[in-house]
Amino acid sequence: MNCLDYRRQLLCGTGETDGMRVHRLQCAGCASEWQEQAAFEGALRAGLEVPVPAGFGERMANAQVARRRRFLAVAATALVAAGAGGYAWLARQDPLALANIDFVMKEEANSIMMGAIPHAEAQAALAATLPLDRLEGLGQVKHVRPCPFNGATAYHVVLMVPQGKVSLLVMPSTRIRGRHHAEKEGMHAEVMPAGNGSVGVIGIDAAVVDSVAGALKA
Amino acid sequence: MSFEETVRTHAADLYRYAYWLARDHAQAEDVVQEALLRGWRAFPRLRERAAAKAWLFSIVRNEYLRAAGNRAPDAETLDGLEIADERPELFGLEMRDALAALPASYAEPLALQVLGGFSCAEIADMIGATEGATMTRLTRARQALKRLVAPREHKAGRT
Ligand SMILES: [Zn+2]
Repeated sequence: MNCLDYRRQLLCGTGETDGMRVHRLQCAGCASEWQEQAAFEGALRAGLEVPVPAGFGERMANAQVARRRRFLAVAATALVAAGAGGYAWLARQDPLALANIDFVMKEEANSIMMGAIPHAEAQAALAATLPLDRLEGLGQVKHVRPCPFNGATAYHVVLMVPQGKVSLLVMPSTRIRGRHHAEKEGMHAEVMPAGNGSVGVIGIDAAVVDSVAGALKA
Repeated sequence: MSFEETVRTHAADLYRYAYWLARDHAQAEDVVQEALLRGWRAFPRLRERAAAKAWLFSIVRNEYLRAAGNRAPDAETLDGLEIADERPELFGLEMRDALAALPASYAEPLALQVLGGFSCAEIADMIGATEGATMTRLTRARQALKRLVAPREHKAGRT
């Protein structure tokens, strides 16, 4: 580093590198240049900092809050207008619900092929999370089978309701808060707390998924 | 950080940046307001929240260009300022007036560097110039400002 390099770099305002500092500490000329430059940079900043209208930041931030409220109000109106299916549009992609969809796409056929467990066994397994008779009140339970899911055991259920077929994943050891939704490759899933764990409802028809999820929550 | 918090943190510097692009307070306010409306819609898709600041400055720039009919600040030369040595009435300016005398193509990278705290490489990306050209503009802008704010009698005596 020589004086010319030092002063050239100083003038682009990018600050001092280690190499520059070493030079400055040994060179009185550049040290005084550096001091002058620091004063100039201060003046430059003050010059660039034109006055901002009073409360501008708050006003802009509050406008964002107001927009979000308006958006949610519009979304709620759309939800009412669209009926139960509107829920899907409002909600965001939830990772657990997405995993439920993946499970159905990849594992459901396998689970069905391996066969259902006996009714009494299913009743006992689901009791603490989602009693089997609640499901039987909604439609015909075609299949129940334990399957590995997310490092634990979940129960895969196939349920026929009057409007069509949905799959359920009863997750006794997965606790969640609130109802969440995901949508992937034409499949919809809703997950929500149930008993000591949670349950996912998965299907191709958003309205059917939604009505089953709504019935389970009620 | 939520969009509201991000906006609250950077609003003043976004306004000042918009001002140095537009050179007009009312237009600066409009530009930032419009930019934030667009930004609010796109924010959920912004993957790197750490880059939110650079992204906000970029949407302010885009909004200004859109409002100004897509004209980027001309890569004007500083020739006008370089021959100012023959115009002593230009010297002894306050820094802000000196900045106002700079072509926007030079004031903009300065505003991004000093107000935004961006590196040469980041500024180059934002304004669509090479890093070398950006460094040149930053240097020449400082040189010109130094001449413009120099005491008048001193300069006048030199001509
Ligand atoms: Zn030196």
